[in-house]
Amino acid sequence: MIPNLLTWLVFLPLAGAALVLTIPKENKNVIRSLAAGTAVLTLILSLFVWAGFDRGVTGIQMGESYPWIDFGFLQLHYELGVDGLSMPLLVLTTIVTTLAIFASMRIQERVKEYFAWTLALMTGMLGVFVALDMFLFFLFFELTLIPMFFIIGIWGGKQREYASFKFLLYTGLGSAVMFLAFIAMYYKGTEAMLFQESTFNMIRLAEIYANPLNPEALTNTFKAGLFIAIFIAFAVKLPIFPFHTWLPNAHVEAPTAASMILAGVLLKMGAYGLLRIGFGILPDQAANFATLIAILGVINIIYGACLALVQTDLKKLVAYSSISHMGIVLLGAASFTEAGMQGAIFQLVSHGFIAALLFFMVGAIYERTKTRTISEMGGLSKSVPVLAGFMLAAAMASVGLPGLSGFVSELLAFLGIFGASPELIPAAKAIAVIGALGIILTAAYLLWAMQRTTFGKMNEKYNGIQDARPMEYIPMIGLLGFSLLIGIYPHILSDVINTTVIDLVSRIGG
Amino acid sequence: MSAFDANWSLMTPEIVLATLALLIFTLDFMTGVKGKKPFVGRLSIIALLVTAGLVLIQRETGSIADIFIVDSFSSVFKVVILIGVALVIGISMYYVEKNDDIYQGELYSLMLFATLGVMLMVSSADLITLFIGLELLSISSYCMAGFKKYKKKSTEAAIKYIILGGTASAFILYGMSFMYGLTGTTSLVEIGSQISALFAANPYIVLMSLLFMVVGFGFKISVVPFHMWAPDVYEGSPTPVTAFLTVVSKLAGFAILLRVFFVGFGGIFDEWGFVIAIIAALTMIIGNVIALTQSNVKRLMAYSGIAQAGYLLVPIAALITLDLTVSIIMFYAIAYVMMTLGAFAIITLVTENSGSEDISSFSGLYQRSPYLAIAMSAFLISLAGLPISAGFVGKAWIFVNAISADMLWLAVIMIVTSIISFFYYFGIIKQMFMRQPKGDATELKAPFALSSVVTITLIVTVGLGALPFFLTNLFSGLQWMAF
Repeated sequence: MIPNLLTWLVFLPLAGAALVLTIPKENKNVIRSLAAGTAVLTLILSLFVWAGFDRGVTGIQMGESYPWIDFGFLQLHYELGVDGLSMPLLVLTTIVTTLAIFASMRIQERVKEYFAWTLALMTGMLGVFVALDMFLFFLFFELTLIPMFFIIGIWGGKQREYASFKFLLYTGLGSAVMFLAFIAMYYKGTEAMLFQESTFNMIRLAEIYANPLNPEALTNTFKAGLFIAIFIAFAVKLPIFPFHTWLPNAHVEAPTAASMILAGVLLKMGAYGLLRIGFGILPDQAANFATLIAILGVINIIYGACLALVQTDLKKLVAYSSISHMGIVLLGAASFTEAGMQGAIFQLVSHGFIAALLFFMVGAIYERTKTRTISEMGGLSKSVPVLAGFMLAAAMASVGLPGLSGFVSELLAFLGIFGASPELIPAAKAIAVIGALGIILTAAYLLWAMQRTTFGKMNEKYNGIQDARPMEYIPMIGLLGFSLLIGIYPHILSDVINTTVIDLVSRIGG
Repeated sequence: MSAFDANWSLMTPEIVLATLALLIFTLDFMTGVKGKKPFVGRLSIIALLVTAGLVLIQRETGSIADIFIVDSFSSVFKVVILIGVALVIGISMYYVEKNDDIYQGELYSLMLFATLGVMLMVSSADLITLFIGLELLSISSYCMAGFKKYKKKSTEAAIKYIILGGTASAFILYGMSFMYGLTGTTSLVEIGSQISALFAANPYIVLMSLLFMVVGFGFKISVVPFHMWAPDVYEGSPTPVTAFLTVVSKLAGFAILLRVFFVGFGGIFDEWGFVIAIIAALTMIIGNVIALTQSNVKRLMAYSGIAQAGYLLVPIAALITLDLTVSIIMFYAIAYVMMTLGAFAIITLVTENSGSEDISSFSGLYQRSPYLAIAMSAFLISLAGLPISAGFVGKAWIFVNAISADMLWLAVIMIVTSIISFFYYFGIIKQMFMRQPKGDATELKAPFALSSVVTITLIVTVGLGALPFFLTNLFSGLQWMAF
């Protein structure tokens, strides 16, 4: 095994970005290939990590730890590691980002900057999933903010400036709450250990909060407040109703590849933080709030779906469907069953691929038709059969057709919530039934949208527009392929996450 | 002990700087009043760096008759200030090239004398020396503010500054006189040892003295509600002078605030700690909110500087130990010097090039000079307090300190106002990257001195963000004040 593999993995894209910056901006093709090369190399490295991951082990693997900053009363460490929760998301990040980079080969303006930012973004996202020191986690979390701000603000649509500022301020506020919560958690953790030990390590903090030397330091009120703060902090990113309003703007204005990354990876950072820090360190509070979380999940599912149903803009429709699908993650996680928790993680990965594919398809079609208004499309299956086919496949995956990853995720999540213990969520069955309505709504808006765009009479305007280019097959086949792989052979994923899921669920006593 | 027995070698850096400043002043006279004299600037930078070197190699700590002290606090502050002024002169060299109506030699000598004033201030443990240092700095600053004498705004700035600054000095002196009246001494150490008993005996007089000094120092470091002069003076002054005022004068103000309040009034921290907390909160809120509405970049930087002064007050209010507070302030001061002067270097270039001080003069800077645009973004990101930057680490340290001192409310105000600041800092970034250049779209080339300033400050800003432990480890093992 390569020593410090995770550090290499995280900082390789950043090194690529630095390299890109040194190339004169006229050599667009060199820049493109360099960016793609870096991304592919990172992807390969992440597959190494995946292959080297020991499936039977609970807890952190491939850990690295070095002392980093000494603030006198506060020691920070540079600590990385992976477990069953971060492993799939790490690979998801490299896959989606790499494919998004392939999807942005058509960008003509300010190519150099664009790829530099995207690679920098990749480092931030990878860092979030492997950082074990909460301060370091926060640093990486914030680091994703700036590249996305620039990508939306420079290469975005008409209202790009508005969207980028909204993104910056909303997620900035979320981060502020997060930082506050982390510091509070750190201090109370120190107090709970009678000042014998103080740490920012998430894994160690989970142990400390489970078995403090001084239980009086961690009152229930404090823990409840802490959990709420953490929940809100990550709710912005996830996004959970009512903190979701930045997302449609950001998605609609962002360039295609950025939308893919946004939906494919960035939202997952919110879910990851919630599971790792919220559920991982404060499982009893997560259990206390389980009903509320499940209800918020259902609201997300239904509200997102209803809004998607009334959209006239195809990209907005996909954006709202993301909100709806993130509700399933909440629902699965809140159930505190193995199936539910698995479903939540499956949904994260699955949605990462499917949403990225959907956004890619919308972008590809927009590039040709110059419209995203659903009513102006129609008959695309005649003019661009390949693109229309892939879009339909993506929609089917999103609806949850068996054989595709969406099905497994939703099935597991709903199994989880149906099987949730009544002490934990009194009205679990009712919540599950209402949530399941979301699946019907999803089918309704997606199939209706497909019917209006791909079928029907062909708009003469679109006669003779070009079908999929060779370069476009890479992201299309890649993303759909992974969705299919997980759909047909879910074991490939469950194998990795199982021990971690069991560990997470067991923290509230089964 | 007579004055001749004292260890005068402690004052070597000051004496050297004074000599060099006089020498440069004379050289300037001898080479005629008018004309371009870039060598004066270069000599001044050398003089400052030589002095900084002398401070660094000065291993001795101690005092001259308890009046002039050399300790870690004064040494580190002196180095920061000397390097800061050297950077300011680097910026000025470009500015004076562009503005023929400025007498270069005078500007530089005034800056050197002001620096000498700062050095005296941070080393003094006596009210009188402290006041002399302060006035040396202030009077030089008043002159510099009015340096563009044919411009109404510059004259207005100088007049405003001299009247209000003079009033502030009077307040400080009045406050000091109360202390002298009570104790019969001007030594801060002496006052510090008596303060608890004094407060018990004459609480109102001590409080009056304190109050007057708070008002006076509040003016000097431009914190709310004594900040009104700052935007006007900063806007009217020549841009490098604005940089000098926002960075050097402000930090010098902080240095004596720390010295006077902790050495002299440290015994009754409970009486004034809360007042500082309130001032910090108001300063952060008002500075950041008003900055939102500014379209003149120098005014914007003025309000940003006010807001930053608010952040710097937080560790004073959230006192845990004196050494910790000074470490935090020192770290943030270094970050502040670097990011603010870096930003001012670029602001000087851009505003002089376009002839306008509106934020829109930054539009499309990326197309005109990618390096400067990226550097400016790094400075602004650091000012906003986002990682990876010195500003982030500094702010995080202040923030964590406030929480551990149980001042959650202050920490929350700090973080919320920081997010408000995203809006105006990123507003400049928006202009640089998301707008097309208007008017002049040719490549913007920075002269050597200016681009060196940008590069040095950029390296420190980013370097301290990624690897802050070089400083934090050093600082956390330091005992700052000898008394």
